[in-house]
Amino acid sequence: MGKNRPIKFRILELFLDGEAHWNYEIVSKIQEEYGMKGNFHRDSINFDILELASGGMLKDVEQKVDEEGIYKKDFLLHKYMITDFGKVRGSDACLRYV
Amino acid sequence: MDLKALKAQESKRKISKGYMWALFCAVFWGIWYLPGTVVWVLNPFDEMYGVIAGTSGDAVSLVVTAALITAFNALTVMLALMLWNGVLGKFGELGRTLKEFHPCSKWFFLASIFGGPIAILGSFMAMGFIGGAFAAVAALLYPVIGSVLAYYWYGEKISKRAATGIVIIILGGITIFGGGVITELAAGSVPWIGYLGGLMAAAGWGIEGAIAGKGLDISEPDVGLTLRFLGENIIWWIIIVPILAIVGYPMYSFALQAFEPLTLLVLIFAGITFGFCYVCWYKSFPLIGVGRGQGIGNLYGLCAIIFIFLFFGDVPQWTIIVGGTLCVIGSFVMFTEETSALETLRGE
Repeated sequence: MGKNRPIKFRILELFLDGEAHWNYEIVSKIQEEYGMKGNFHRDSINFDILELASGGMLKDVEQKVDEEGIYKKDFLLHKYMITDFGKVRGSDACLRYV
Repeated sequence: MDLKALKAQESKRKISKGYMWALFCAVFWGIWYLPGTVVWVLNPFDEMYGVIAGTSGDAVSLVVTAALITAFNALTVMLALMLWNGVLGKFGELGRTLKEFHPCSKWFFLASIFGGPIAILGSFMAMGFIGGAFAAVAALLYPVIGSVLAYYWYGEKISKRAATGIVIIILGGITIFGGGVITELAAGSVPWIGYLGGLMAAAGWGIEGAIAGKGLDISEPDVGLTLRFLGENIIWWIIIVPILAIVGYPMYSFALQAFEPLTLLVLIFAGITFGFCYVCWYKSFPLIGVGRGQGIGNLYGLCAIIFIFLFFGDVPQWTIIVGGTLCVIGSFVMFTEETSALETLRGE
């Protein structure tokens, strides 16, 4: 799969391993895979994660302060996990062709 | 700064941004009824209406003219959204999403059938025959259709609170439609086709929302909305307009005449306001929750009445104002039930 699928499909796919992931890990992975550089794209991918969370497909399980500036210094970092609904939607969308 | 203070700050920022997007949506949506009403008196649509009415009667002429206006509306919305996607650098994502027909883009095409030839066509019919204020307020009934559909389709329960909201909205609907019909019955002629348009707007948007949501939750809304309008353009320009032309209506000769400065300007104005009201609507959902986003978005009904008053000086009938207020109150009662979205945002 990889970069020929829509970004949200790929994000869900990354979460389908059932593990919790930090937003900055997912964002930088997507940026790298899709060749999206710069802060604008970084924030846009983070908004995709927010949308998936508000759609009930991811849940926010942990937060910490970004003291070292891994993502955005002095902002909150969020750790997400896929929900049951997210697994269903994710499998429908992403795993059909695998 | 500690974790707790940062959480509070983040949630405050999200909520204020979310309300801002939702308010923008209401304002753009409300403004859309201005070009939507004005376009009817501009050429070629004014002339087209007269020509077809002469041979086929008023009712047929209204629907055929509304079809051409809606087709142009779809075209300018598409242009506005393409520009938006270009600025955001999302053409790549547009292509990737389009290819996912089965899980994703088929829902946008299906949604466009209900959105375009039913809801937007209906709105233009209502604007042309009755007026912008009526068209705007009649469509406020859409959440009733949406929730009844969700009840039968997904077996979604309708809570007591939602049911109360629905009853208030329906009372508003009866006031809006009933008030107009009674006055016109007394005057001797009822523009039934305009009222049919109002109902089409409400039903079409209710159904569109339920279907489009299935694709939008796993795609980027900027991209998803563009594909929904791509679907609508295909329906109008490749299916309906050619069929109407084959049947014998002078679609192409009038369509070509639309390329004059004032008409184009009004159509582009319609495209920008309509396109961006959708974009703003979807931007607000992750920030304040779908419920609040839709509740605030529905203030468009009152925005439309205010703008129509400011620009055209039309004071709507009192039944439209009372009914519209009931509909907005009802949608707030219905939509503000879902508190979990804000709680998640607060990190509780």
